[in-house]
Amino acid sequence: MPIIDSLRKISDTIWELPVTYKQGMCVPARIIATEKLVRDMDEAVYQQISNVATLPGVVRYALCMPDGHSGYGFPIGGVAAMDVHEGGVISPGGIGFDINCGMRLITTNLTLEDVQPRLKEIVDRLFQRVPAGVGTHGFLKLSHSEFRDLVEQGARWCIEHDFGWHEDLEFTEENGCIAGADASKISERAVERGYNQVGTLGSGNHYLEVQIARPEDVRDKDLAKKFGITIPNQIVVMFHCGSRGFGHQVATDYLQKFLKVMEPKYGIEILDRELACAPFESPEGRDYFAAMKCGLNMSFANRQVILHRIREVFSEIFGRSAEDLEMRVVYDVSHNTAKLERHVIDGKDKTLLVHRKGSTRAFGPGHDQLPARYRETGQPVIIGGSMETGSYLLVGTASGSGTFFSTAHGSGRTMSRTKARKQWHGKQLQRDLEARGIYVRSTSWAGLAEEAGGAYKNIDEVIAATELAGISKPVARFTPIGNVKG
Amino acid sequence: MQPRTPITLLTGPLGSGKTTLLRHILATQRERIAIVMNEFGEITIDTKVIKGKNVQIAELGGGCVCCSLLGEFEAALNEIVEKIAPERIVVETTGLAEPEALAFNIQEALPQRRLDGVVSVIDADMLIRFPELGHTTRLQIEGADILLLNKIDLIEAGQVEPLETKLREINPTAAIVRTERCRIDPELLFGIGSARKITRPKHRHQSEFESFIFTSGKIFSRDCFEGVVNSLPASVVRSKGFIRFADGGQLFNFVAGRWELEPFESNRTELVFIGKSIAGEKEMILHTLDECSIEITKHESRMSKE
Repeated sequence: MPIIDSLRKISDTIWELPVTYKQGMCVPARIIATEKLVRDMDEAVYQQISNVATLPGVVRYALCMPDGHSGYGFPIGGVAAMDVHEGGVISPGGIGFDINCGMRLITTNLTLEDVQPRLKEIVDRLFQRVPAGVGTHGFLKLSHSEFRDLVEQGARWCIEHDFGWHEDLEFTEENGCIAGADASKISERAVERGYNQVGTLGSGNHYLEVQIARPEDVRDKDLAKKFGITIPNQIVVMFHCGSRGFGHQVATDYLQKFLKVMEPKYGIEILDRELACAPFESPEGRDYFAAMKCGLNMSFANRQVILHRIREVFSEIFGRSAEDLEMRVVYDVSHNTAKLERHVIDGKDKTLLVHRKGSTRAFGPGHDQLPARYRETGQPVIIGGSMETGSYLLVGTASGSGTFFSTAHGSGRTMSRTKARKQWHGKQLQRDLEARGIYVRSTSWAGLAEEAGGAYKNIDEVIAATELAGISKPVARFTPIGNVKG
Repeated sequence: MQPRTPITLLTGPLGSGKTTLLRHILATQRERIAIVMNEFGEITIDTKVIKGKNVQIAELGGGCVCCSLLGEFEAALNEIVEKIAPERIVVETTGLAEPEALAFNIQEALPQRRLDGVVSVIDADMLIRFPELGHTTRLQIEGADILLLNKIDLIEAGQVEPLETKLREINPTAAIVRTERCRIDPELLFGIGSARKITRPKHRHQSEFESFIFTSGKIFSRDCFEGVVNSLPASVVRSKGFIRFADGGQLFNFVAGRWELEPFESNRTELVFIGKSIAGEKEMILHTLDECSIEITKHESRMSKE
């Protein structure tokens, strides 16, 4: 039986696997997508999201966003909220290894006209200053103990060390520093892998892009203005990166711990070992939460230092200060997190641990966690497309409670990396892109081929699905002109 | 031109036994081998650690070298080859890694190196306790050339067969080798790809694994040889080497019943057979092979005419 037949259509954008689909499901699993996107998903997504629905304490639905595809344990695009007072668990597979992999968007007061003549110079210099590739080192020379301070303090540490402006913190989720990060809960090995990586992009799908907001691509002029998109063909800078080897090691350390205690100590039986977890209210669960928060902060700090480097590059090239270029942060969003949030479930106010793996938080207007500037508009949501197709700025909506105010995070792969590399050649791709006005620098041709636009879902379809589902609303679309690929 | 250094990728889920296998390889292998591992801490190292730009290197006894990545993977491998010129490199991936990307990097981005094979260590006990395979585990099984079904001592004897069937459904071509604590002759794991250089197994073997060599200056009948190969006892798990047929030399590669021949410049016949307690089969195998030589066939036919 084709798997789509096991799905119950709830609406044009909600597809449900009922609790009867699989033994042990506590709640239904729901895929938020158009029929076309659902049909394009790999079968493993159904298995994975229904496995998530069996985890202890899961509330309402295990969800998969429109850009979902299969990942370690949870699908990438998976969202699950656990009631921590009802035995809810925390699972590294529901957060991802690149803890707090996320996006940051910066505006400038430059236009395409200003930047076009110097584009190569800008991209080449960004490529030098923001190291990309596997295992690269940042320019920050930190001792292990300084690094431990940094992971407890996040982007705040950077501001105190003059890598940025105070207002940057206001426009970062958790103000760039999530409370409760405890460096005594991370291993020396994790420190070893991370202490020299602050300020680096990393590899894979991480990138830094110079983009333009064409007037015809501004969908909501009023909101765009409030988010700082004010002039025609305005230049913005968007980048995507995370906690590098550090986050990966934290996840690995705790997966191993959880595998040891999960069944013998807590009697939790799971279907897929990659869903290893521990009760949130257990010493192991609490320790991981505190260690994972170090990953969150490392990533906020990483993006803060990268922002600082970007400001330096633009300032040097244009001979004007970053303040004068109005290089302001629109927002910084996390993709791979678990956070304690308050949500209303069946009329009751509950504290839930919301796992978002490859999913962006998208609080609607009026949410008390938003900075004053966005309290009325709702939260800016930044969704990166493939380097060829463009990216989006969206806003969270009041109608997003069905997904615990979560939306998509990217366009989602449609083919494996290997397949992409067989289909495209990095060098040729670079030449093609250049012919189309996109200048790309990369450390690896093969890696570049992996990120070919054709290896991803159509970003426009993903964005349209989130709008149709009422979980986020497009504000502007950006077209890349320069790309530093990790 | 320098021979391309063969690289073996070692993968498998968390806790399946990758480090145990590495320890075992280090203890039994005498080739100049470089092990690239996630963390030195997993193997006790007494000697001095040399810190390079992309890699930390620790020389062990017996020509083995342990390396831990600092920089970019490709750069680190190049540095290892330049500094220590190993005969072989074994790369341990983390339990969370999907092997396909690394395998591709080696094949495409490192023309001076050669991917010899992907070895996945799979925990039999885990497969019993978690019958639903995870996404990454599945990819690790799919991507393997050799699957070590490890920890079979922890499951019931009757459970092994169904597990092998399950693995074969996911990866019909990989050789499956049952192990306890990853005790396997490392020679079984290496030279899977079309090896350009074959070294004799000159090391001490694990007690349960034995090997013997067949050498000959004669020319062999291909049909006869294939017949012998197809009827090798199941205790022979691995064989490789050169064989000379009337139309030229061939490289022979045999892994757990599957085998291939590939044209190769060689005038000699030299084959290694490895397996569990195969000493008893040695004479029979050597004899049947020898009977495949064309000289003997001609001689016999002359004799029958006379």
